[in-house]
Amino acid sequence: MEFDLENPLTGCGEHHFDAVSALFASESDHLPSFLAFKSTDVRFCLRRHSLSLISQTQSACKFDPYMAYLAVNYIDRFLSEQVVTENRPWIVRILVIASLSLAAKMTNFNLSLSDIQRDVGIIFDAQSIPRMESLILTTLEWRLRSITPFSFLHFCMSLFQLGDSSLTQPLKRRASDIIFSTQYEIKLFEYKPSIIAASALLCAADELMPLQFSSFLAAISACQYLTKEELMNALAVVREMLIEGRESTVDSESCSTLPPKSILDCECTTSECEKPTNLDGDSIKRRKLNDFRDDQTFRISHIQRC
Amino acid sequence: MEKYEKLEKVGEGTYGKVYKAKDKATGQLVALKKTRLEMDEEGIPPTALREISLLQMLSNSLYIVRLLCVEQIDKNGKPLLYLVFEYLDTDLKKFVDSHRKGPNPRPLPPSLIQSFLYQLCKGVAHCHSHGVLHRDLKPQNLLVDKEKGILKIADLGLGRAFTVPIKSYTHEIVTLWYRAPEVLLGSTHYSTAVDMWSVGCIFAEMVRRQALFPGDSEFQQLLHIFRLLGTPTEKQWPGVSSLRDWHVYPKWEPQNLASAVPALGPDGVDLLTKMLQYDPADRISAKAALDHPYFDSLDKSQF
Repeated sequence: MEFDLENPLTGCGEHHFDAVSALFASESDHLPSFLAFKSTDVRFCLRRHSLSLISQTQSACKFDPYMAYLAVNYIDRFLSEQVVTENRPWIVRILVIASLSLAAKMTNFNLSLSDIQRDVGIIFDAQSIPRMESLILTTLEWRLRSITPFSFLHFCMSLFQLGDSSLTQPLKRRASDIIFSTQYEIKLFEYKPSIIAASALLCAADELMPLQFSSFLAAISACQYLTKEELMNALAVVREMLIEGRESTVDSESCSTLPPKSILDCECTTSECEKPTNLDGDSIKRRKLNDFRDDQTFRISHIQRC
Repeated sequence: MEKYEKLEKVGEGTYGKVYKAKDKATGQLVALKKTRLEMDEEGIPPTALREISLLQMLSNSLYIVRLLCVEQIDKNGKPLLYLVFEYLDTDLKKFVDSHRKGPNPRPLPPSLIQSFLYQLCKGVAHCHSHGVLHRDLKPQNLLVDKEKGILKIADLGLGRAFTVPIKSYTHEIVTLWYRAPEVLLGSTHYSTAVDMWSVGCIFAEMVRRQALFPGDSEFQQLLHIFRLLGTPTEKQWPGVSSLRDWHVYPKWEPQNLASAVPALGPDGVDLLTKMLQYDPADRISAKAALDHPYFDSLDKSQF
């Protein structure tokens, strides 16, 4: 029953034909909506810092890249829905830990919260992480079975007429690597997961079997679910991303209000760490006031150690 | 839970008490289901997380009872989860009962049976396309809006996280009437066909206003089925005699299914026959059922 990013709908590990239309029908429900934000929005910085922290933790803890990808998806959707006006290291840290914890539970990965906190360099009190999880769950309306580009890989590959089946795995691996990188590319925010999957697969095919690229492109363009224009635009962005080697950095132009260094370099001052901090005050305001409930209001009473 | 005003207990669901309640802010009626899931220091348990997110994903269909939100409350320091569903005024069991008993017994209008069955197949097809089996379809789990003629599937998918429903919350035996023969015979690999068997039984019950196979034990349940449809043979259902709970049963000949549902026309009988095939591989799928000629006279534009 664990959640599989490549197969988000079916609990039984099979690819149903009917599932394809269900996937395309609901992919837009899981899109972050950063495009509506001003470029100076502090959430872009929070996002950048969160991604950097996740990538650092991932190399330290050696957890599954799919799990990390899922955690970033939760962070993106959380930041799309919540008005956050403050950029503080501890907000990034608790957001990252709680998102990783949720992603680990969904993918059945055994993640030790204490190890993660140690790696992240902060120990929260016992209630804080479950409460942050709850806040994320409420914000995401419990829609944790994210539909991501990985969900469309199998379908898009089925459109290719791969003569040599030994190429299937290398192609899928390379396309997956490209998809992991696309999370860092802000220009790809506007594209649906299916379009990103198709673009990544085409780029992978172009690298591994360039002679067949045009027939693959024709096959994918003919697919009823994909808009050719969108596909061509996204393909250009992914290509540009690969050429420029921007596979693991984030466009930081929107973060001019902050020091350019990574969150991990930020030193917490003692006074900041010891001061009781509220997440329910000005730092995170809920968009939907209906969701406001006193007994659920998120509060970090204190941060024990930075 | 101050957000809601509890109005009355509307049932003991398989997984806990269900209350009708009103959202104080909006006046919207909701069904509150308390779960017995408790959160520990690790936060929400993974199984609950997966089940509820699955339920949330399925509830985007018009034919599935909508999960409006999940409320987490503290009770004596222990966090509890409430699932908040949309409220519908009755269920198919009560609706059929009201046509059998009471001041004005009368058959269900054939066009309503047709429409309810279509909506049921739509909902089941939606679950199946998402890889989810219901496993416990029965009239009590189908909620009905009498005024609008709407039917929606409830009590979905919580089977695994919320413990196996052998006995319900109130220790009432879970009904066997809608259970597929492969489940009764102890098959370990069952598929979407188990739900289609239940749909067939529910279809027949709407026509008859009483259950098609009202068994009170697993053995009796099988005998009810065999007496009407004939004792299954290896030819009809390859592998049946190797199923775990297969015994030697009296050899009944199949009866005419139409005689069990005399009010149903030939197209309806044909669809019912396809839903009640012994071999799960031969049983009609929900998606194929939607295209069956029985629904030809239905105005599908409304769905």
